[in-house]
Amino acid sequence: MTNKSNNGFNTWQKSFEKETKKNFIDARSETDEGIDIKPVYTKDDLENFSFVENNSLPGQWPYTRGPKASMYTNRPWTIRQYAGFSTAEESNEFYKKNLESGQKGLSVAFDLPTHRGYDSDDDLVMGDVGKAGVAIDTVEDMKILFNSIPLDQMSVSMTMNGAVLPVLASFIVAGEEQGVDRSLLSGTIQNDILKEFMVRNTYIYPPEPSMKIVADIIEFTSKEMPKFNSISISGYHMQEAGADNVLELAYTLADGMEYVRAAMSKGLDVDDFAPRLSFFFAIGTDFFMEIAKLRAARTLWAKIMKDFGAKNERSLILRTHCQTSGVSLTEKDPYNNIIRTSYEALSAILGGTQSLHTNSFDEAIALPTDESARIARNTQLILQNETGVTKTVDPLAGSYFVENLTEELSKKAWDIITEIEELGGMTKAVKAGIPKLKIEESATKKQAKVDSGSRVVVGVNKYKNPKEPSVDVRVIDNNRVRDDQIKKIQAIKESRDTTAVEKALANLTNAAKDETNLLAPCIEAIKLRATVGEVSKALEQVYGRHFAKSLSVSGVYGKHFEGDQEFMKVENKIKEFENLNGRRPRVLVVKMGQDGHDRGAKIVATSFADMGFDVDMGPLFQSPRDVAKDAIENDVHAIGVSTLAAGHKTLVPELMKGLKEIDPKSKIIVFVGGIIPEQDYEFLYENNVSAIFGPGSNIIESAEKVIDLITDNLSKV
Amino acid sequence: MDLIDNILKGERAAIAKAITLVESSKYSDQQISRQMISELIKKPGKSIRVGFSGPPGVGKSTFIESFGSYLVSQNYKLGILAIDPSSQITGGSILGDKTRMVEISKNPNTFIRSTPSRGSLGGISMGTREASIILDAAGYDFIFIETVGVGQSEIVASNLVDIFTLIVGPGSGDELQGIKKGITEYADIFIVNKNDGELKIEASKTAADYKSALSYYKKLDELEKQVLLVSAIEQTGMEDVIKTINQIIDQNKLKGIFEERRANQLEYWIEEEVKNIIASDITKRLSSKGNISKYSEKVMKNEMSMFEAVETITKDTLK
Ligand code: B12
Ligand SMILES: Nc1nc2c(ncn2[C@@H]2O[C@H](COP(=O)(O)OP(=O)(O)OP(=O)(O)O)[C@@H](O)[C@H]2O)c(=O)[nH]1
Ligand SMILES: [Mg+2]
Repeated sequence: MTNKSNNGFNTWQKSFEKETKKNFIDARSETDEGIDIKPVYTKDDLENFSFVENNSLPGQWPYTRGPKASMYTNRPWTIRQYAGFSTAEESNEFYKKNLESGQKGLSVAFDLPTHRGYDSDDDLVMGDVGKAGVAIDTVEDMKILFNSIPLDQMSVSMTMNGAVLPVLASFIVAGEEQGVDRSLLSGTIQNDILKEFMVRNTYIYPPEPSMKIVADIIEFTSKEMPKFNSISISGYHMQEAGADNVLELAYTLADGMEYVRAAMSKGLDVDDFAPRLSFFFAIGTDFFMEIAKLRAARTLWAKIMKDFGAKNERSLILRTHCQTSGVSLTEKDPYNNIIRTSYEALSAILGGTQSLHTNSFDEAIALPTDESARIARNTQLILQNETGVTKTVDPLAGSYFVENLTEELSKKAWDIITEIEELGGMTKAVKAGIPKLKIEESATKKQAKVDSGSRVVVGVNKYKNPKEPSVDVRVIDNNRVRDDQIKKIQAIKESRDTTAVEKALANLTNAAKDETNLLAPCIEAIKLRATVGEVSKALEQVYGRHFAKSLSVSGVYGKHFEGDQEFMKVENKIKEFENLNGRRPRVLVVKMGQDGHDRGAKIVATSFADMGFDVDMGPLFQSPRDVAKDAIENDVHAIGVSTLAAGHKTLVPELMKGLKEIDPKSKIIVFVGGIIPEQDYEFLYENNVSAIFGPGSNIIESAEKVIDLITDNLSKV
Repeated sequence: MDLIDNILKGERAAIAKAITLVESSKYSDQQISRQMISELIKKPGKSIRVGFSGPPGVGKSTFIESFGSYLVSQNYKLGILAIDPSSQITGGSILGDKTRMVEISKNPNTFIRSTPSRGSLGGISMGTREASIILDAAGYDFIFIETVGVGQSEIVASNLVDIFTLIVGPGSGDELQGIKKGITEYADIFIVNKNDGELKIEASKTAADYKSALSYYKKLDELEKQVLLVSAIEQTGMEDVIKTINQIIDQNKLKGIFEERRANQLEYWIEEEVKNIIASDITKRLSSKGNISKYSEKVMKNEMSMFEAVETITKDTLK
């Protein structure tokens, strides 16, 4: 007899409906993933599973309950904080301090020029050096980065995808010059290029050669670096870019399948490399969903790898790093972020992650300070030492709700994976731009929910703090960092054997023309002190640089606001504007420099268009001068600069200069959105910025302000 | 006008402002715009206007980026008018062309303007013709006009240019059935794009299909229509395109076709303008008299027939 037909359940349902004055069916709530969450789950909800197996155990097929039998009861997860800023020297100091305070692994954040294969002295990256991570130009920088950190004992994770060849080569050479053989190096390189094309945007070459490079690295490490994870297949960035959990899960596993195929195409046996594949997921605010996602990921991956013919049990097991969600953290009332991060961390732990990064409360303001980083780390130390969560493996197993959710997520993700496989795999899907567009659509929906108030964000659209606290901010003097890096590059270029370097680079270019593995010739060039930029250019000669063709969603934001008063008010202002001026207000939305955070820019562009603006969308990585030219040629009323990687103080004045150079009488107004620490507001206003829209800005309100400012500006003669 | 001098000097901001004027729906702008265009027309430059049309997503923008880069590397000055199809009927639009013309838009020898088509006929926006007059006067050697091909649009677009190019994708040979009738009338060059990678075989096949269809419809005294294979992404086939364009222009000039076309286009333009003015005048008269609703009520009440009503209204309006 099932529960639903039994008296107990009927009585419960009656009571429920009486208490809530709602029909049981209507009381369900829909998640972003399109899953209906019921107000209560029962034993019935454990039936008819096709993925989850009800009586499985930790460390056993299908590994839903965890990769290991003992999990945290034997050893807690690794606290692995992602960090890096400005110079190798400063980052090195920071790492050493953290290791002393209880952190176990290292995780390096590189600056954007390094990610994109440019040296610090390249004109294209003037505003970006050392800003959002550490600048690495040569192996000498890498050696400083790990100064007095023994690389045979410390596991090092490196978030590097675009310039993966020169950076991994530098790591190997730095190890060797420390006296550590490459076979002893342990850690992970992200090396996940597909999600770069989708959301992270630090690609260099087009998809096909990029996939070849990924496979080269898997091949090389599987042969020569047995303790090193050759790839970290990342969904993290997708969720941060706006994907819901099903999209994150499905696209990540589909990416994984593509990498497995790429490696197998090199003639490797699946069991040669599969045990060294690792994963990386985001943990957002939907507490149970995130737990279910990690459990579903392990379940599905085991099935996928079995289908690939893996025989070694370790090939079937998904091991993952997790990071709490940065995008869930707010600029407003920032101490709330400590609380959010704590819950997210707990979710990751209950989901069974192998390592974890917890974000700092100043996430939406700037790179963390020593103080905020300490609190973030302590969140994990408290969980490990004070709460008892390490004492039982997978404590939520058997929960009707969590098991059911795990199954639901698995099913939905599997449908998408099947769709992508039918399309011919993720490389093809990515080239067609489909996953990126789906993620942007999901991001736009989320924004609409927050802006309309149907989703509450404490301190942002409800329960606002009337007295915003002021917080200390880490400030980076990127001009100094850049000057230092340039000096170092010059010194190295003077002392190295130039002919040998040139020969090594020519060798590399030649190697790129055939099918040879590129890591070995990279190591040669790096050893001779070739720079990261030079190595990247040597490959660019053969592969070219990739320019993304970006598509845009439309109508998704507007649909959420049908009949909404505020929305209509802006629409009407725009119509009035058109009647008066003979055209709609026209705004150019741009990203300048190497900053690849395009979520905000894309959302603002599509929402503005839905309200009636004509929006010109600039490509990524524009220089201020290119923007000025675009803006003037299209005679836009305003430029909206979206800037999140701290380049604004260099890039915005350059843009102003560029405008005046082309048209001294230019009346185009400029406003800025994104991550702008409060102390920079004045600087920007002094540089004639008309308005600043920080994180959490309501887009409809922003749009109204923009149209008002444009109208105002036109009325001035 | 200062504006005119500055356009003739090739000043970027002046050109841009002038294009805004010709696109404007504001009456006073239109007046200024007419004056300005009349002046500029007296000072023709030397530009060749080339139209690129084709179905959405065949790679028009990518091709223009690629071909355009080639031209500017030969020191030509290039103006591009991209009619962006992405506009919606209700809201505004997202003009994303610039994300596909990254390299070329940096070049000081280019001027790139996107315009939302606003669903107007043939994807040609109000003012495209005038905008090309402005760019011509400003000294651009080539003016490219990118439009999406949807049915009638090619005919409208071909009326604005000296050479009209249809860009198609591999495997589009099947659609040939439907369009081959009028095809030779307005397109001078057929470009099969995406001749790269896995698509190469299909692209060659498509080119062959076009060639045979075109030779079948070729008129006796006509030049053979050119079918070219290119890859916008790999930047191959670009020399052929410029060679073919130059060849056709030279031929047409020699035979007087070039001038004849421009004369026909002028005729067409004048006719359009006259029609537009009459149409808007009539619309105004109609609405001020309120005849339509008055007489349709009578028709509803069976007091007169529908055709009688039409006749009466027409007579009264044209009075
Ligand atoms: C999401 C995110 C990512 C995603 C980006 C996905 C994508 N495609 O956009 C991923 C995970 C890939 C990522 C990667 C990195 N990130 Co990040 N990221 C964030 C995060 C968490 C949220 C940004 C976001 O998208 N918010 C949601 C959108 C909708 O909000 P928004 O952009 O702020 O836009 C709103 C307003 O600002 C305003 N607005 C913005 N633009 C405009 C424009 C106009 C015209 C108008 C009117 C309004 C407006 O309106 C919008 C709606 O409210 C921020 C921290 C934070 N919480 O803000 C860090 C953050 C921006 N990232 C940071 C860093 C360092 C990086 C990396 C460089 C790390 C590294 N070294 O590898 C990488 C590299 C990325 C790259 N290529 O540039 C730092 C930057 C530090 C700094 N400024 O000093 C931040 C601040 C985190 C931190 N504190 O360390 N990141
Ligand atoms: N393989 C291949 N793909 C191409 C080529 N040219 C363009 N594409 C791809 O085709 C898609 C559409 O290119 P666009 O240049 O935007 O096409 P379009 O015709 O301008 O599109 P609309 O302006 O939207 O009508 C993009 O994904 C391009 O990368 C080519 O030569 N080869
Ligand atoms: Mg286009």
